[in-house]
Amino acid sequence: MSTADATLVPITQRSWLTPSRMAGLALLGLLALFALSGPLLVSVDPSEQDFAASLAPPGSDYLLGADHYGRSMLARLAYGARLSFGMALLTVATAAVPGILLGLLAAWRGGWLERVLDLVSTVLLALPGLLLVLILLAFAPGTFGPLYLGLALTLWIEFYRVTWVTAGGVLKQPHVEATRLLGFGTSYILRSLVLPEIRPILITLSAFAMSTAIIAISTLSAISVGLRPPTPELGAMIVELLPYYAEAPLHVLMPGILIFLLVLGLQLATRSDAR
Amino acid sequence: MGSLPSAGRNRMKRLVLARLLQAGLVMLVVGILCFVLVRALPGDPAMRIAAGRYGPDANITEAAEQVRRELGLDQPLLVQLGASLGQLARLDLGHSVVTGLPITKELRIQLGATLWLSGSALALSLLLGPPIGLLAGLRRGGWVDNASLGGAIVLRSLPPFVLGLLLILVFAMLLGLFPPAGYGTWRDLALPALTLALGLAAVSSRVARDAVAAVARTPYLAFARLKGLPEAVVVRRHVLRNAAIPVISYLALQAIYLIEGVVVVETLFGIPGIGHALVHAVIARDVPMVQGTALAMGLLFVVIAMAVDLACHWLDPRPKRT
Amino acid sequence: MTTKLVAIAVAVLSMTGMAAAKPLKVVGPWEIAGIDPAQSGFVFSRMQVAETLVSVDADGKLTAGLATSWSAAEDGLTWRFRLREAARFHDGSAVTAAIVADTLRKVQGGAGALSQVPVAGIEPDGEDVVIRLSKPFAALPAYLVNYTTIILAPSSIGASGKVERIVGSGPYRVKSLTPPLNMQLEAAAEWAGAKPGIAEVDYQAVGQGETRALMAESGEADLVFSMLPVSVERLKRNPNLDVRIATIPRTRLLKVNAASPLFSDVRVRRAISATLDREGTTRVILRNADLAATQLFPKALAGWHDPELPPLKRDLAAAKALLAEAGWTPGADGVLHKDGKPFSFTLLTYASWPELPPIATAIQAQLKQVGIDAKVSVGNASEIPARHKDGTLEMGLVSRLYSIVPDAIGTLRDDYKSGGSDWGATGWSNDELNALVETMAQTSDPAARAPMQRRAIAILQSELPSIPVTWSELAVVANKRVTGLRIDPLEVNYGLAAIRWAQ
Repeated sequence: MSTADATLVPITQRSWLTPSRMAGLALLGLLALFALSGPLLVSVDPSEQDFAASLAPPGSDYLLGADHYGRSMLARLAYGARLSFGMALLTVATAAVPGILLGLLAAWRGGWLERVLDLVSTVLLALPGLLLVLILLAFAPGTFGPLYLGLALTLWIEFYRVTWVTAGGVLKQPHVEATRLLGFGTSYILRSLVLPEIRPILITLSAFAMSTAIIAISTLSAISVGLRPPTPELGAMIVELLPYYAEAPLHVLMPGILIFLLVLGLQLATRSDAR
Repeated sequence: MGSLPSAGRNRMKRLVLARLLQAGLVMLVVGILCFVLVRALPGDPAMRIAAGRYGPDANITEAAEQVRRELGLDQPLLVQLGASLGQLARLDLGHSVVTGLPITKELRIQLGATLWLSGSALALSLLLGPPIGLLAGLRRGGWVDNASLGGAIVLRSLPPFVLGLLLILVFAMLLGLFPPAGYGTWRDLALPALTLALGLAAVSSRVARDAVAAVARTPYLAFARLKGLPEAVVVRRHVLRNAAIPVISYLALQAIYLIEGVVVVETLFGIPGIGHALVHAVIARDVPMVQGTALAMGLLFVVIAMAVDLACHWLDPRPKRT
Repeated sequence: MTTKLVAIAVAVLSMTGMAAAKPLKVVGPWEIAGIDPAQSGFVFSRMQVAETLVSVDADGKLTAGLATSWSAAEDGLTWRFRLREAARFHDGSAVTAAIVADTLRKVQGGAGALSQVPVAGIEPDGEDVVIRLSKPFAALPAYLVNYTTIILAPSSIGASGKVERIVGSGPYRVKSLTPPLNMQLEAAAEWAGAKPGIAEVDYQAVGQGETRALMAESGEADLVFSMLPVSVERLKRNPNLDVRIATIPRTRLLKVNAASPLFSDVRVRRAISATLDREGTTRVILRNADLAATQLFPKALAGWHDPELPPLKRDLAAAKALLAEAGWTPGADGVLHKDGKPFSFTLLTYASWPELPPIATAIQAQLKQVGIDAKVSVGNASEIPARHKDGTLEMGLVSRLYSIVPDAIGTLRDDYKSGGSDWGATGWSNDELNALVETMAQTSDPAARAPMQRRAIAILQSELPSIPVTWSELAVVANKRVTGLRIDPLEVNYGLAAIRWAQ
């Protein structure tokens, strides 16, 4: 219901930068910095093995230690963060653009177009998303393309439906109808009247979709249907290191903490304080 | 519900009809899509099926020739698709090409396991989420509100397999209360259900909290309090009923998430569920099994959506826009 | 309110766990994919539900199964198997020679191990089953240990002609079977031998190795098969657990396409072998440096391991020299080139065994050191046979079992015949080896076979149609609650019936 509240309260009256949003954005900024600069600063190849350094503790030659094959944890974490971040951004962008455009189109034009799109989306919604991802992945196992495409295909429906319902509500409001009758152009109405109303909820939705994508990528890799070793993927790293939890608990925790921080940052950055 | 006005009854009929249409379309799309996609995959399906049947130590090339003859995989694809759709139209799901068992029997076991797991997870999350949400919503900004907010954010940020592993370490290894894996008894179900329930309760508590908070701000609630009704009556009569709709709508989404999201939990805890079956069926190119599991999931979605439509309609019979 | 409910729930749940007659809880990685013996016969054989005619002891010596004795006629063409007199199926019916002959005929027509035996006919003759061959084949009894030849009662077969339930003749009968993960067994009244020490067995398939380790550690399982190497050390320190390890006849090897321009030169195959850091790989991934495969067969495979043979070992200088001799020179990017083409290929492997992908990545890193560029691709187990068949395979990392038939001659005969096989050689054949193998298959005298075995191993060692990487071991964890466990390295029969509760 926070979504309904958000559309009722005019956007300008609320302070956008709440403390939790600030914390979230700061966290995301730090993680992005780590993901972007990490691979540049650490010149080590994340798949280079050094059996002599197997499970080296943090400190020593390796800043964050080395995994069971003696690969630099720092390098793998940095590449892993970049991978999760990048894949999630790409997936959400790919899902959001057609989803929002189709949603606006359906709300604007109505009629048979709306009905056809509604039918397509309800049928797709009932298709198990897992099935789509699994089958697409089976075309080229362990690669980025199908994983990203499969996730985007399951995520766009949510963007479409939310945009359609919210924009439809906005377009029915008397002041919008009046503007339309006064002969203002489509782009003006969409830009000045509809977009401000649906933006907050779309931002929240994007953050949710990104969290979903990050968790889905790591989860699929964890049950070994996603990305394949030696790709430094955070979920795969946890599962690979898991058997060593008694010897090197910190190593197992690190990728888990990184995923946790990523999702936490996203959640905090887009939290609406509906009090 | 006794006597509904006829407009309400008509609306209900329309809801049910729309959902039935959706169910029919889902069957058709799933049937075609599964066949076409699975067959379009690279690689020789006979080899895949042979590997799925006889394991990786077997003489796969030789076994594949027998599989090809047995299943008629050498016939033209359109003939095979026709046969497959004809079977579906007769509501015959066929036999798994890997295990040789009827799909209906496989589904009974696997869907059953998943329903048990997700059912208990849903029940458990209902025990945790909404009551906490109610408390938090009635005392906004109180310690329950803040603590449950923190808890919800943390739980939502943990991938389910990480949460499952943590629970195994605490409840199975440290405390020795529940088995770390297995399937069959209630004890086996405890940890996987809790893993799912915590993730669900994290969100449903917030949804309930926001809904309750929204109701609590409305003038009629203040009026009810002014009237001097006891707090318990106010909550029961006004807050619960009005806050239930978003919570129920959200539950429907959760149920979907459950049915799909269980695959990791099933793999982690060794439960023979439908997600586990779907992953294996796609790997082994077991078309009837893929169709069966996908159909079961899709139709379950339609049924749940219909139940939610009806429940919302019952709670709030006023007609509304989508 | 909520806390009270939870407390009650916990109390009830923990009570249901304490049933009166406790079954032996066995956990293993194998799923029961389908109940047909060709698919899951090994589970029913290992769990002593069904029997084969011939069995095998831990040293690889053939012992009585459903047949108490067997003999071959002078010409080596007619074999007679005498059935155990009191043998009965779990439905009460007698195990007759006619049933056994029918079953074996059907199996022989399938794709299992028995189909590779030159059988001319299988007939019942009184108490005996007679197998006639088209040419002498001394290894026949060993083929009858294979799990696809388990003998089931006619009542196992449903109207469709397929196996629909498992009615065997072993000490345990199936009480309930819920494929793919669960099976419950109980002592069979029809079994005439020693009564099982524990009347009920509960088998649970758990695919995740780490979860299996946790089940052993938490005391939830009595017997857990196939532990991950990393868990073994931790489990050994647990005072409640008894960890047993046996070397099993399974070798992880690089299946090389000797017909491809990259690997047709034997010097290149030898160079690759000399590049491998077998000791480091096994120490880190398998946690046991003794598993480094210095030749194809492990010591445990009696007669097939030659301690005199010069071992395969890491020698980077020699590897580089061999590659240079074969015409490969380092290019600007550090990758070797010959005739303008880089030494670059795909190393295909599969995830059916969890250790294969990590070993493949380790090999990839090692090959990089001499300028060989291998790209690891992890696929389905069927991809290697498929690409072997169409000739596009370059190199595959596979795990090869040599006890499908307890006499390794069975696997050897299939793997290195001309044209190779799914898991054996590709694009390689050797007339001397083919002749040796055929002679051995007809020879039953161990003394006569020994020199032929040594020669065969020597050929494989110098030609390297497959490059051995590591041997394997099986780790079994038993809770100290149970006693009488026996490890079967050939994994034919786990001897559950001999296990008892410790007092």
